[in-house]
Amino acid sequence: MAQHGKEGNGLSRRIIDWIWNIRGSLALVPGQSNEDAFQRLDPLFQEVGTSHERSADTLTFRKKNQAPQDKMSIFDAGVLQISNDAGGPVLHYRLKSRALLFCFLAPLLFLGFAQATVVIGQWEKASAQSSEKKPDKKKDVALSQHPIDAFLGAPAPEKPKKDKGEKAEDEDKPSPTAAYVFAGLFAALYVVGRILEGRLVRSLFRRKLLGV
Amino acid sequence: MDGVRVGKRLIGTQSPVTVGWENIPRVEGGPLKRVFFTWFQPAALLALIAFWYYAPNSIAKASTAIGIGIAFRVLLLALEWVNPRHESWRLTWKELITDLFYVGLGYTLLSIVERYVGADVMIEAIQHNFDWEKVAWFMGLPLLLQALLISFIFDFGQYWMHRGMHNWYPLWLTHAPHHYITQLNINKGAVGNPVELFLIGLGVGGFFDFLPRAALLAGTLGLAVGSYQHINVRFNSPRWWRFLFNTTEHHSVHHSQDYEGSRSNYSSTWIIIDRMFGTCVDGEAELLGMEGGRRMSVGETMTFPFTEAWKTMRAKLRKDRFDGPVIVPAE
Repeated sequence: MAQHGKEGNGLSRRIIDWIWNIRGSLALVPGQSNEDAFQRLDPLFQEVGTSHERSADTLTFRKKNQAPQDKMSIFDAGVLQISNDAGGPVLHYRLKSRALLFCFLAPLLFLGFAQATVVIGQWEKASAQSSEKKPDKKKDVALSQHPIDAFLGAPAPEKPKKDKGEKAEDEDKPSPTAAYVFAGLFAALYVVGRILEGRLVRSLFRRKLLGV
Repeated sequence: MDGVRVGKRLIGTQSPVTVGWENIPRVEGGPLKRVFFTWFQPAALLALIAFWYYAPNSIAKASTAIGIGIAFRVLLLALEWVNPRHESWRLTWKELITDLFYVGLGYTLLSIVERYVGADVMIEAIQHNFDWEKVAWFMGLPLLLQALLISFIFDFGQYWMHRGMHNWYPLWLTHAPHHYITQLNINKGAVGNPVELFLIGLGVGGFFDFLPRAALLAGTLGLAVGSYQHINVRFNSPRWWRFLFNTTEHHSVHHSQDYEGSRSNYSSTWIIIDRMFGTCVDGEAELLGMEGGRRMSVGETMTFPFTEAWKTMRAKLRKDRFDGPVIVPAE
């Protein structure tokens, strides 16, 4: 019963943790020993900031402050296990990435910034309405054009428009557009990263195992 | 490592730095590729200046500048893909999202903060308190001269702020996280603690009255020259360009793991300011970063100036307690 509860718990965890975990499996060359496979993958775990442990069929690793030049830089920890399935030896892996989780959550942060910007805009508008309008000290300065610029054909500078009024105030209001754009960008980049990094690490393992 | 003597300093004793233009590799490939990567920088600069000089008033506005800025950066990202300077600086997905996070902070959080405590607010407050008027004669100068002066004066301020960051510990704490980058890519200029990004954005250009078009032209100089500070593309920059302007080569020396190398090339656009003050080193480096190339996480980047300041203060206080003033008995 307890075992069943544990399994259920693992399953429900898996429903969520695919966000920051990449799982996969790769069939080894028939007859390839565990020792040989791990030996071929070993250079990947000799990078600066990487520690790893090996048993007969399992390799666990952990990375800290890994350099961007590390081919597995996106991952912070992981388990690689070789099992002997019916069709031959298979490498199963589960790789944990904080970068994926960070990118998944980033849209929420930027949506938060957007909301904060909207609130600030409303607050500014309210306080501007409640306070008396100060007389505008700025004098209208005629914008002159230097003869060289007139000769070279640059458009003459326009005098500031007087009827700007509310429109100018609206333009001066903080805009949440940038925050929405970044929220969308990170959502799209998450999808790209989740698919791309899964494929890249699979191909990296395959190349190392084949010795390419 | 022996290093190379540049003025009074030995550059490259701790980490490899190539000194001298004659030692820096040129663009390799077919004639078309070589011509493109030789003339791209001056051609883009000329085209952008011509655009802002002649664009009708209805187009010459800040929103167009933002659009062009984004499009230009996307183009430069594509060039990084086509002609990387170093394979070890290749942009990965993780680096891209990290860099974009800092860019995003600049467009959102920092822009909100700057509305209240930014350079413009401070300049307005100073002018208000001292009853100064803006300097209006500036507006009567030819457009390109206005633009050059705005760009140069702003960069002059940035040069000293940046040099200050490398020489005064409290300022260094804000700038240090930016020096943990181990490769240069187009958005790496945004990577750093927000306090530093705010400080480096302070400029003195705002004391003048200038034509809006002149400010846009000055901005385009920053875009079409300053953008190449952080980029993984090899160009054959013309001699006059690298004499006047900051380049990837210069900035890679500034980011090198070599301490003396990192104390050079402080300007953002006009490397000639470094030449004026004797801090220019013409060269390049591939091995970048601090602490042997340790990557600093986003979380640490955000907290580093405060945690380090706290650690230093605590250590100093403890030391003072033990080595404190000797109590001399009263006579």
